[in-house]
Formats: sequence, C-alpha cells, structure tokens
Amino acid sequence: MKTIMKMLAAALLTASSVHGLAAAETVLRLDEAPVGELDPAKASDYADSILIFNVYDALVIPKQGQPGYDPHLAASWEVEGTAYTFKLRTNVKFQSGNPLTADDVVFSFERMKALGSGLSYLFENVDKVEAIDAATVRFTLKQPYSPFISALTRLPVVDKKLVLEHLGNGDGEMKDWGQGFLSANAAGTGAYKVVSHNPQEETVMSKNAGYFLGVPAKAPDTVRMRYGLEAATVRTLISQGEHDISSQWLPPEVLKSLAADGAQLLTERGTTGFYIKMNTAKPPFDDAECRLAVSYAFDYESGVKIVAINDKVSQGSPATGAIPVGMLGALPQDNVLKRDVEKAKEHLAKCKYRPEEMNVELSWIGEVPLEERFALLMQANFAEIGIKAEVKKLPWALFSEQVSKPENTPNISQLFVNTLTGDPDTLLYGMYHSSAAGTWQAPEYLKDAEVDALLDKGRAEQSDDGRAKIYQDLGKRLLTVTPSIFAQDQTAVFAASNRVSVPALTDPAKAFPLAGFGFNFRLMEMKE
Amino acid sequence: MPSLIRLLAKRLGTSLIVLIGVSLLIFAIARVIPGDPARIALGPNATAEAIAALRDRLHLDQSFLTQYGYFLADLVRGDLGTSLYTNRPVTSDIAQFLPATLELVIIAGLMMVAFGLPLGILSARHRGTFIDHAIRMVTLLGVSAPGFVWAVILMLVFAYFLPLFPIAGRISDSFTIPPVSGFLLIDTLLAGNIRAFGNAAWHIVLPAFALALSGIGQAARLVRSNMVETYDKPYIEMAQSYGFAEKRIARRYAFRPSLIPSLTIIGLDFAAMLGNAFLVEAVFAWPGLSRYGVAVILRKDLNAIVGTVLIMSALFLIVNIVVDLLVSIINPRIRLSQRAS
Repeated sequence: MKTIMKMLAAALLTASSVHGLAAAETVLRLDEAPVGELDPAKASDYADSILIFNVYDALVIPKQGQPGYDPHLAASWEVEGTAYTFKLRTNVKFQSGNPLTADDVVFSFERMKALGSGLSYLFENVDKVEAIDAATVRFTLKQPYSPFISALTRLPVVDKKLVLEHLGNGDGEMKDWGQGFLSANAAGTGAYKVVSHNPQEETVMSKNAGYFLGVPAKAPDTVRMRYGLEAATVRTLISQGEHDISSQWLPPEVLKSLAADGAQLLTERGTTGFYIKMNTAKPPFDDAECRLAVSYAFDYESGVKIVAINDKVSQGSPATGAIPVGMLGALPQDNVLKRDVEKAKEHLAKCKYRPEEMNVELSWIGEVPLEERFALLMQANFAEIGIKAEVKKLPWALFSEQVSKPENTPNISQLFVNTLTGDPDTLLYGMYHSSAAGTWQAPEYLKDAEVDALLDKGRAEQSDDGRAKIYQDLGKRLLTVTPSIFAQDQTAVFAASNRVSVPALTDPAKAFPLAGFGFNFRLMEMKE
Repeated sequence: MPSLIRLLAKRLGTSLIVLIGVSLLIFAIARVIPGDPARIALGPNATAEAIAALRDRLHLDQSFLTQYGYFLADLVRGDLGTSLYTNRPVTSDIAQFLPATLELVIIAGLMMVAFGLPLGILSARHRGTFIDHAIRMVTLLGVSAPGFVWAVILMLVFAYFLPLFPIAGRISDSFTIPPVSGFLLIDTLLAGNIRAFGNAAWHIVLPAFALALSGIGQAARLVRSNMVETYDKPYIEMAQSYGFAEKRIARRYAFRPSLIPSLTIIGLDFAAMLGNAFLVEAVFAWPGLSRYGVAVILRKDLNAIVGTVLIMSALFLIVNIVVDLLVSIINPRIRLSQRAS
C-alpha cells in the first residue's frame, strides 16, 4: 500500500512540475458560449463567427477603422445594375492545397442556399451565381440590393473538391452536402487550420503556413477555443495565467474583479444594440402614446450604470436611436436618449388605456441573466408613472415559439441584436419591416408603411451618402412610432491577460465594423 | 440454478422493463419541452423550407407512436440518431463523453467509500467523544452543501488561493494521449506515459472530491448511526464481556451488520452522482456526459436527450443490480429468502 502511495505521489509531483513547463510555441486560450459551429453554411452566432473568420475567407472583408469593404479573396469587383462580377485572386490555395476557383464560390453559395440555415437568408435576393471562368464569378440579384457586398462577408468559401470527396449519406446528387464532414473538419483558405474540434470542450487551431496573406510570427501559433466555461472558472483561469481572453458573457462584476487584478479589457462597439421590444399588436402597446410614455419613463442612464465595469468601461453606452452610434445612418452622438418623467406622464395621459388597467408582462430571456436587471429597472421606472408590470423569465426556446403569434408574444421582450454584416439593413429590416413580423427579431409586430418604404429605399439606394440619409430618416421615424425602447448601444467587453495584444479590440482606428471580426487571430500578437 | 444467478436474472428482467418504460417516458417528455427542435437546430434565421425539411427528416409531423416506432427500429440497430447539437451520431457523442463522467464518478465513488466508511466507523467507535462530535460536524457540512458549492469552494481554495491543483479540464494541454478506452487514467497507462497519468490523476482530484463530499458525509453518518444501533445489541455486549479487542468488535460484530443498509444508500448515492455531476463538470470544464445531457435538453435535441437519459438510466440500474448482489453476498439470508419466495 505504501509503495502504491509513493508511486502516486511521485507521479503527481512529476505532473505538477510538467505543468509549470511552458512549451516554446505561443498558445492563445479563449472561451465562448457553447457550441462553436464549424460548418460555414450553418454558422451564425458569435462563437461560430470567430471560428469561420479564422478558418475560412470570404470574397470581401470589412475595412479596418472605417466603414466599407475591401476585396479579399476577390482581387476586385464591378457592379452593373444587379450583376456583381468578381475577379478572384490567383494566388490563393485552400488548406488542402487545392487552388481557389470560381467553382468553389458557386458551390459555397449553392451549399448555403440548399441547407437553408445559418445566415443563408442574407442571400435571398440572389437570383443566380455563375463561374464565368476559373477566376471570375458573377452574382446576379433579383432586384437592387445595396447591402449585398456587406452580406458577402458572411459567405465563407469552401473547398468544393475536398467536400465532394467527403459527402455523407443523403438524398440526391449532393447527398448530405458534406455536412457530416464539415461539422468536424475545415475546408477553407483561412489563416488557421483546425487541429481538433470537440463541440463540448474546445476547438484547437494552428497557423496555416501557406496562407495567401501570410501569418505574422507574433500571431499565436496555436489557438485553443474553449466552450461553455463557467464565469467562476474563467475568473480563476485568467487570474492564474491559464487563460487569455474571456467571452463577452461574463457578468460585469466578474469583469470588474478581473480588471482590478490587472486584466486588460477589450471592447467591440458599434455593431450591436440592446432593444426593449414592445408588442404593438396587443394592448396597451398597440397605442403609440403608451409606447412613448414607457420609452420616456425608462432610465437610460441607470441602464448604462447597471452594466458598467469601471469608470471608463461599460458593457453599454447611451443610444441615440435604433442604429448604434458609429454605424452608417446612426443619429448624431450628442443626441442621446434620456429619461423624462414629465413627458412620460403627458403621453400616458393621451394613451387610450388607463395606467391602473395595465399589467405589463416584462419578459427576459432565461439564458441572459443580465436582462433580469433591466426588467427590474423597468418595473421600478414604470411604477413611477403608475404602470404595474410583472417580470417573467422565458427560456429562449419558449420565447422563439411564443413570438410566432402576436397574442402569445409578451408585452415586452428584451433582445441584443447585432448587424451580422455591419450594414444597417441587416440590423433593421428583420426587426421593423412588416414582412418580418413574428420572427424572433420582430416581436413588435410593427406595421408602419413609412418604415417599410424607408427600409426598401435603403436597399435600393446605391450611394453611401444617400443611404446614410435614408437610415437617419428611418431612425427618426422609429423614434416617433417607438416600437422599441432603444435602451443602449451594446459594447462587448472581454477580459484578457496581458500576454496578448489585440489592436482590433483596443484601438478604434483598427477596429472592424463587424461583430466578431476583431477576433482575427492573425492580427493578434502574443507577448511571450 | 444457484440463488445468485436467479437473483441476477430476475433483476436484469425487471431492469429491461424499467428501461422500456423510461424510454417511452423520456421520448414523450422530450417532445413536450417548449420549442421546435428543427428551428432551434437550424438557427433563428433558418428558412421555413429548411425547417420543414428537417421536421420531415426527424418525422416530427407524424404521430407520437409512429415516431416511437422509428426510434425503436433504429435502437434495435444500435442507432440512436444524430445529435442536432453536435451534428454527430448520438452513439459517438455518448462514447466520447461517457468515459469522462464515469471516470469522475468512479473516482468520486471510491473516495466516498475510502473516506466515508472509516469516518463512520471511527465516529461510532468513539461515540460521544470529541472525535465523534468533530466527525459529525464535518460530515454534516459535507451533506448540507451541494456538490457545485463545494466545487467552487475547492477551486477557490486549492486552485486559486493555494494553486496546488489545476482549475479545469482532464489533462494539461501539453499531453496528447491517443484515446483507447476514453478513461484517461487507463489510456495514459496504456500509452506508458506515467507523467501523463500523474497529470490526469492530479486533474481529477478536486472535481471528484467535490462530487464525493456529500456522499462521504452521508456514508459516514449512516455507518455511524447503524453501528451505534448495533453496539446496543446483546451480542456486542457478550463479545465485550468475553474481552474481545475493541477493533475486532467494531470490525467484525458492529460494522458488518451495519454495512447492509449503508451499502444500499451508498449504491444509490453513487448512481445519483451520475446526474449530480453536471454542475461539477460545468465548474471544472469537465467534458462529460452530464454536461452534454443538460446542453442537449436546453437545445431540445430529441435524439440526444433520449440517448443520454437511456444510458444514465441503464447505468443507474446496473449500479443497483451490483448493490443487490453485494448485499446478498454479505447477507445470505436475503438471497435465501428470495429462493424461498
């Protein structure tokens, strides 16, 4: 027995000494919510985006530090009416070694449309895609759609030849479209290769030495992206130097304590808004006066303080309207929304429902505990003008089912919505166009002809200036009809160790106007 | 037929009936959880056509009994379907995640027996003394707080303030162990890598102890109370009057009879740890089946829910059968009474 104990102790000691030995290569460790979807046609959320932006490339990328898009896998593009013709770079190879061709772009589009999940809805306006020659691809749209270039940031190009070699069981010529293969393997051109992917534990990635733009030596050699870590675990791991970048889902208190311990705070702004959505299809919010009353009663300043981490950094900043400050068409920054109880009372007096008759159902999504704080804040704010409100927790699955019918949709729902492409159309069309009513983004059930017309106009207008004007007009109209309380512009805050430098998340001049794109590992620098 | 085999056959028969009942029940419960599994799987922006196609592929628009029929037909072929959460066959997921949970639970179970029984015996032998009071207080603490509370406390104390143990995972990143059994403690030995074995053992200490603490407390308190009751029996008094050594009396005459009820409860605790492991797995980022089970429930991943619950139920039943057999070995009257009945 003693011998066994001695052996065990020796093994444990050896193990602990091994733990202290750092490998020569640099390793970046970060975490995200479960689970990272590796299939580019299914990817949609933040964790998926980080994976896809590093493992795959698209025809275009957002410009750094300014609005607009640059060619990426494309060398250039031309627009003629509804036809967009892209010349591809000729020096790009997939991680498999296969050269990139126009056929790969066509296949990637067709695959995304065929699977119909993820962000495929962004390409509903595409009529056809053709390979003109090996290095030229043409997209023809059904109608003018100016956000199309921005949507292309979400069309990762997959290696057709590799996928066809790995088709799984399924009906038709394309069988499963390689879903089985691509859920665990990569077929991209990206700067990082997938070494292993365990959907519950982590995805390990390493540098792609053959990347067409090169990968700087200081970029992390290996990236370990972990999933579903608890806040307490992340807190301890970062403090002990065993983790580098947290997810944005840490509670403000944890971020605050990490910052106090010396962790740096990375931020991403201008891509996401926090919307308190009112169901305009049932009382009392079918009356715009009632909606205006609660929007004036809401304490915007306290809302920002609720999510403040310290004096300088908060997970939210004051909003000026539906479009986050910094995005095309946002209303001027000096016009932030403020609480005005007197105005709230004035509008309430004009509302056809009496406050004592109201019992507003204030829902919050169970998976986002932060929303409960806002629900309680609203309950207190509304009580001040005599409106009674009941706080109700809704799991996401139940919420997404309930919103399909206006009568089941809560009076108030809370949602963080991001642009996905960096364009205001992607943010607003799905929320406020009458055709979108009843989807998870549109529990307002807004039916407003002027809003619809402006949204359609924003799609047809080609010039940036013209579009900026349209979206500003739209922002003003939305403030008048008030389908939502534009509670705040969200700032994604990540705690990070000082071993890593992430210019895209610390320097506004190097930031990308696309959520998750700042996690381009190629542009990060490891300090040891 | 020997009585033990008859007992085993009987238990296996009833377990099979229970498993069929569980499968039917969980198949129904999984379908009444709010939310459309196809919509959840395809994402909030999926097209209506894609959702309809997936619903069709999953037979979700057909009657409950038809769906159950498809499930049974696949089950007979060893196919539990594909997980919509991981996009892999559920059997592959279970094969990957189950060993991590089993390893954790087995080590926690061993800790429960290794610490719980001696503490109970010690407490009973020294009943009414300071040792007894101290042990009772410590074990009460173990019982009164759930595993995840201990997980956080242990992590803070032994991984944060005193960085003696690792915080998360099953093994350090520097080791790459080819999976054979899925049990890292075994695979590291099979790979002949003693350092990796030590590292894996070092990683499992805190999560297993956090999971075991409640069981340790319960086992100790149960053994103590049963032994204290036994100490009042006339045959103990007789052994004492014969001048037998106190150790011998404790071990042979007081502990053994008190082991039977304790063993049953320990068995149940062991099985319950399979479910309770979830929060401990979450805190220590342990990639096990309990964590997977909760994740698939939240995503309404029907195939994975049914598969996970079935496996958990089967393990629960196996543990109970083992306990029944052990009890009947320790106390022949039980198996003899079975034969008589």
